[in-house]
Amino acid sequence: MNRRIVITGLGAVTPAGIGAPALAAAVCEGRSAIGPITRFDAGNYHSRVAAEVREFEPADGIRKDQSRYVKKMAKVMAIDIQMAVAAANLAVLDCGLPVGNAAANEPVLPTIDHTRFGMIFGTSFIPTELDDLAGPVRASYVDGRFTLKGWGARGIPQMFPLWLLKYLPNMHACHTGILWDAQGPSNSLTTSDAGGLLALDEASRILRRGCADWMLAGGAESRVNPVVVLRYCLVHRLATANDDPPAACRPFDLDRTGQVSGEGAAVLMLEGADVAEKRGARVYAEVLGTGAGTTTAGVNACDADGRAVATACRRAIAAAGIQPSDLGAVVAHGPAYAPQDRSEAAGLRAALGPAVKDVPVTAIKGVTGNMGAASGLAELAAAILVLRQGQVPPILNCARPDPEAGLAFVVGRPVALKSKAILITSNAIGGQAAAAVVRLL
Amino acid sequence: MRRRVVITGMGSVTPLGLTVEETWQNLLAGKSGIRPNRIFDAETFPTTFAAQVPEFDIARYVKNAADFAKAGRNVRFAAAAAKMAIEDARLAPGTFDPTRTCIYIGSGEGTLDFFTLCESIAYGTGDDGKVSAAKFAEMGLKRYDALRELEQEPNMAANHLAAEHGIAGPTYSNLTACAASTQAIGEAMDLLRTGEVDTVLAGGTHSMIHPLGVTGFNLLTAISTEHKDEPWRASRPFDKDRAGFVLGEGSTIMILENLEHAKARGARIWAELTGFGSSADAYRMTDIHPEGRGPSAAMRLALADAGVRPEEIDYISAHGTGTTENDKVETLSVKLVFGPYAYKVPMSSVKSTLGHLIAAAGATELMTCVMAIRDQIVPPTMNLETPDPECDLDYVPNAARKAKVEVCLSNSFGFGGQNDSLVVRRFVP
Repeated sequence: MNRRIVITGLGAVTPAGIGAPALAAAVCEGRSAIGPITRFDAGNYHSRVAAEVREFEPADGIRKDQSRYVKKMAKVMAIDIQMAVAAANLAVLDCGLPVGNAAANEPVLPTIDHTRFGMIFGTSFIPTELDDLAGPVRASYVDGRFTLKGWGARGIPQMFPLWLLKYLPNMHACHTGILWDAQGPSNSLTTSDAGGLLALDEASRILRRGCADWMLAGGAESRVNPVVVLRYCLVHRLATANDDPPAACRPFDLDRTGQVSGEGAAVLMLEGADVAEKRGARVYAEVLGTGAGTTTAGVNACDADGRAVATACRRAIAAAGIQPSDLGAVVAHGPAYAPQDRSEAAGLRAALGPAVKDVPVTAIKGVTGNMGAASGLAELAAAILVLRQGQVPPILNCARPDPEAGLAFVVGRPVALKSKAILITSNAIGGQAAAAVVRLL
Repeated sequence: MRRRVVITGMGSVTPLGLTVEETWQNLLAGKSGIRPNRIFDAETFPTTFAAQVPEFDIARYVKNAADFAKAGRNVRFAAAAAKMAIEDARLAPGTFDPTRTCIYIGSGEGTLDFFTLCESIAYGTGDDGKVSAAKFAEMGLKRYDALRELEQEPNMAANHLAAEHGIAGPTYSNLTACAASTQAIGEAMDLLRTGEVDTVLAGGTHSMIHPLGVTGFNLLTAISTEHKDEPWRASRPFDKDRAGFVLGEGSTIMILENLEHAKARGARIWAELTGFGSSADAYRMTDIHPEGRGPSAAMRLALADAGVRPEEIDYISAHGTGTTENDKVETLSVKLVFGPYAYKVPMSSVKSTLGHLIAAAGATELMTCVMAIRDQIVPPTMNLETPDPECDLDYVPNAARKAKVEVCLSNSFGFGGQNDSLVVRRFVP
């Protein structure tokens, strides 16, 4: 069955602003959202820069009954979940479906069959906020030592009763589903940086097999967190250019020093083209094909020949039924961590073949840092809005592109977009690579 | 054209055994895997017991045990289960196309270094009760083991299996709580039906038997704190005196192939997967919709996908957690879908002895369905001593039962409202 899939709504909560247009504007202007870490005292960390989301309100723009729910539940939602809910709300509001009049007691989204509305999120295992454990940990000490006996007897009773629910990786979908009464398939993919594009891949597959008519595909993650920054500091993946934050994230640049921790959420509304056409929806783009691959180089390694990225891109291009030379642009992952950038470049060379000379390659993390599971779809949302204007934006902070990459990087100034077919790819170190081809409409 | 999907290999480590056969025989015998917690000192925790996987030597299952030295229990379980599944399917290296082979695994977290976390938090806690991240990091950067920290990521099970077995196609890792591995297998079916891949290692792996896991469930009062002195009595699905589930752990991995691929390589076929249904409650964070809206939708969709009538189902592997709400609503949902036949179809919960394997539960329960089809016998719900008027179906109480078993339905309903059901049947060419 060859059902066509279209994107009809964009929602994003990013360090560059709330809403996909805010991110698109920052990308066009080459404005970095990276600054010193303010979320916590990063004093002893090697990397003290991050792209932080500031001031977003997950209850903005939605009905009163919905905002009551969000406000009541916010205390059991880690920031990842709050951002996901906010981005999902933006995507649903953007897609133009009637939301239903609360005063007239209408249900939300009264014109759709809610059993055919589902969602797939790329999420991560969210570490606990340290303050949640501080009191209980202190109460657990016996003779100057932390003990499990103390924890069981005196720590647990001091914990916040719904603590576990604040951090579960499927709560993004749970709350979003409750808000919008989405009773269709609901999944949460924990595949790190590849999560967002794999969510797009699975959501498209579910629409294609006819198990839903509307699917949200999303990704959300905060890496601006004392535990996550520490984890990546321990393995030296993070940029240490602490003195000049806006220049800290340098995708494919010779002077890159590592990833910059970011955070955010991005959600797309996908529909079967038949359904979207019938309701006269505004369509941003068509999902032509998706693909995925996996590294076999080791669980913390990037394969030197980029075969995971190559497999993902080849599969997406083949599924789209196009040739690499048909592509107008590539939006690369480009996290600015040298082994990962090199592996991706090798994979793109392999997948693009002779077209590699002509297809412009851009990347967005110079603006946003690495938003983890949110990155793929936030970058896709931004790319859709920016590239529709006919220009491929340059890679921020790529002043001296790595000559060994062998890619047609867009550097310094935008280049004209020659075709409306766009390839986007994301990859997780040691694991999954994902890619999608969309056609701008 | 929709391709048929068959199971050609199974591997499993559970609290009841380190092989599929051992777990199955113990289940039929009604033996319990639930014991006092020996993974960590839980003496003062509200719940002091769990269903734990016996010790095993990872070196028996992997090329280089050192690659797994920092891995969590979840990854080690998956490595063992996957190795046995691959051997069971006779899927030798070089006989499959790595980029057309896929992994889809419902997987939880690695094993948290709880002491380092807590000691670093204590070190960083000021007089105001707030934690200074800088001071937390001062100790954490010295104490934490970098590679062990990376093993926290839930995609590590998939990553390890890809590296160990050279699987380079699409891999997915999902975590929809208790429904994860049923959903993983269901989505894997679709990847095979459409021909996107030839073979999938699909299943689940999880251990939440760590201090924060038990803490989290105790706080939610979801796990039983009763029968401390006879913990094998604590998991009581459908019994009037049920008081929550018992945490288990383990992994089951299956080799799924499309039929043409399996036939072409002369594979032995365990069973055919014919139906998958997936829904969300969209109701509340932990409570199930009281009218069973989500679970009944998942079951109906799975039956429709399989093209079977309710009366053709010979056995239901219940989600049957042993919480008051789940068992009541699952019973109601089965009645909604099956009508009067609900009273005739045997439905049991292996969680009564295996405990709740969370992300690994669905795959493990599907495995028991496959064995039920092989042996024409259904496993019992143990500890069903006092009937509950709201749970009045045939739960196969306390003893395995010989039965005609050709087609089974396996249910998983997750915390957070994800509901998934699978239909598996004897393979008939």
